Amino acid sequence: MPSRRRTLLKVIILGDSGVGKTSLMNQYVNKKFSNQYKATIGADFLTKEVQFEDRLFTLQIWDTAGQERFQSLGVAFYRGADCCVLVYDVNSMKSFDNLNNWREEFLIQASPSDPENFPFVVIGNKVDIDGGNSRVVSEKKARAWCASKGNIPYFETSAKEGINVEEAFQCIAKNALKSGEEEELYLPDTIDVGTSSQQRATGCEC
Amino acid sequence: MDSSISSASDHESHSPPPKHFSHAEPSENGGTITDQLEPGEVQVIIEPGSDAAAGRRTGLELGPEAPSSPSSSGYVGERGSSGSDTSGSPIIPIAREIEEEMSNEVDDITLHGFSDSQTTWIPGKRHVDEDDASISWRKRKKHFFVLSHSGKPIYSRYGDKYKLAGFSATLHAVISFVESRGDSVKWLRAGKHQVVFLVKGPIYLVCISCTEEPYESLRGQLELIYGQILVILTKSVNRCFEKNPKFDMTPLLGGTDIVFSSLIHSFGWNPATFLHAYTCLPLAYATRQAAGAILQDIAYSGVLFAILMCRHKVISLVGAQKASLHPDDILLLANFVMSSESFRTSESFSPVCLPRYSPSAFLYAYIHYFDADTYLMLLTSSSDAFYHLKECRVRIEMVLLRSNVLSEVQRSLLDGGMHVGDLPPIAQSGLSQLGMHRHPSDSPERFLEPNSAIDSPSGLWHFIYFSIFLDQYVSSEFPSFIKTHQQQKRLYRAYQKLYASMHDNGIGHHKTQFRRDENYVLLCWVTQDFELYAAFDPLADKASAIKTCNRVVQWIKDVENEIFLLGASPFSW
Repeated sequence: MPSRRRTLLKVIILGDSGVGKTSLMNQYVNKKFSNQYKATIGADFLTKEVQFEDRLFTLQIWDTAGQERFQSLGVAFYRGADCCVLVYDVNSMKSFDNLNNWREEFLIQASPSDPENFPFVVIGNKVDIDGGNSRVVSEKKARAWCASKGNIPYFETSAKEGINVEEAFQCIAKNALKSGEEEELYLPDTIDVGTSSQQRATGCEC
Repeated sequence: MDSSISSASDHESHSPPPKHFSHAEPSENGGTITDQLEPGEVQVIIEPGSDAAAGRRTGLELGPEAPSSPSSSGYVGERGSSGSDTSGSPIIPIAREIEEEMSNEVDDITLHGFSDSQTTWIPGKRHVDEDDASISWRKRKKHFFVLSHSGKPIYSRYGDKYKLAGFSATLHAVISFVESRGDSVKWLRAGKHQVVFLVKGPIYLVCISCTEEPYESLRGQLELIYGQILVILTKSVNRCFEKNPKFDMTPLLGGTDIVFSSLIHSFGWNPATFLHAYTCLPLAYATRQAAGAILQDIAYSGVLFAILMCRHKVISLVGAQKASLHPDDILLLANFVMSSESFRTSESFSPVCLPRYSPSAFLYAYIHYFDADTYLMLLTSSSDAFYHLKECRVRIEMVLLRSNVLSEVQRSLLDGGMHVGDLPPIAQSGLSQLGMHRHPSDSPERFLEPNSAIDSPSGLWHFIYFSIFLDQYVSSEFPSFIKTHQQQKRLYRAYQKLYASMHDNGIGHHKTQFRRDENYVLLCWVTQDFELYAAFDPLADKASAIKTCNRVVQWIKDVENEIFLLGASPFSW
């Protein structure tokens, strides 16, 4: 009954420092928001159980540090991710421009088997600030970029007000799940006694 | 007996109490192999009250009736030891700190009163509702985790591994952080906790423990857990990670939680886990020979290994020509078979891997229980050998019944092994003590001694004798006053510490060690042929302890036909 099986999905959150990655995660997992900014050191990890189409699964959310000095951990951290969330601040053009770097860096480091179809989700955060008056990245522009990268799903959120966060993560979970479906038969070798026992007679690994 | 006495000066050191065994004597003088230990050559380490925790533990020894069930609400019910009743005795505030010390690995709590703890341990995973936010989870003394190189949880001893996904990722981050600097982390210390890491390709294993076990022991335990994974999956699992870093191996391990919890439990009662040796069920020589002969017969017909076991003890085993079986493989295979309930109900044919024999490939094991304790494992490389092996089993069973092996096995099980109370009184070189003993040497009844009044007139409480040449050990039965699992585990951990210190390459090879603390006098004696670990009354004096050890060694020699499997199969190490 593979469909009843519990699944764990690894979700990586990337983006420039200060765009609200940790706040999004806290809003989603703990329904909490703090105005105080605390830079993430290395990475934070949170777990959230999600029900989706009758299945229970666990999101293991890797909230990475935006600062460049932590990027050496990339390979190890990105390995085996089921979905990557790219976050920018709609009030910062630079954070939007950097999405491309984050995406490419991820694809290089994680080297997923099918990079064209690796599930990303893009989030434009902080739509609440100034009632949207300080916004510099238009939704149209963001959606155009997402479309050009293979129709990446796009969400505009406010981690502070809790707007659209749940919806964004629902989509993240759904896409992560899609990418992890393939399954193969597990068929290890069987010992060929003719060779292996002779080999054993001379040397032993103990 | 060809004993020669090596003379070395007496290095007794009473103070200051050394924390470690660094004073033990290097064996440069070991040109002479001694079969006789003399007081002068024994290094003495005395620790008067240096282990405060141990002292307090002694002061608060909990009986079998002590409350035990854990709760995250506070101290009441958090104490360990045995029993399953939560009706609390009043706990005074001053006891709280001790209580914390005592809050042991709570899965081991239901044990008491039996020397073979395995019989009373109720297998299965505990406390699945816990996660890293639970107070009770944080208080557990010894955690084991397995995770993938992408940080996904594979196994956790306590709690729900999915709820612990964040914790698992944190462990991954620690390992990755050090790795990103071109190094690898072996262990780290956080307060009273030691965190030990073992990276095996794409599989990461971690132990977090405040049991004060040596690093080498904990690492050895992680190695065994990894070996148990290989028994179930083989090293081919690495290929899955290579092909797909997202690979989740938990489904492949489905239903095996109990195999791992049983293995982890055995770290507290089975000396094979740190001696890397196996033990035999005591049997009359002729009985074991009869079992060995029929297994050998079968081995000629395309069976790679034929192993007959009673619980975790070997009755007899045979390998096809040139094939040798490592004791760790016996341990892991037996654990796999004994912890999986389904093997008991019907004959089975299962793929298994012997990590020390061939880690990358499966063998096929035909497994059949003759009774509740005795089981046969026939290993072959042929996946369609079931019916052939079934026929082999029928033949073996006929012979075992005809030669009364199975009933002898049951009798030995009831009688138990060597009781320290039966230690023959005086040992002199070359003179067998059997004449003075109450039973002839070829009678298993010798093991059936009622040790009611005094368990050990010699002050000897327990011993383990490890024959290096045979890769086998024999462990004496526990006396009546070391009956709870906690007490036994404490003694095993003391032995384990002793073992680690004697095998620490950093401080050279030692030959003997005499160690005294609040709980025991421990004496360890290592020669080229054997290692002896003995525990005495804490007030035992050195000279008489040494004499007793000489007697034990002589005793072992006298009965080795019955307690060891001798020259039965072509072992090649």
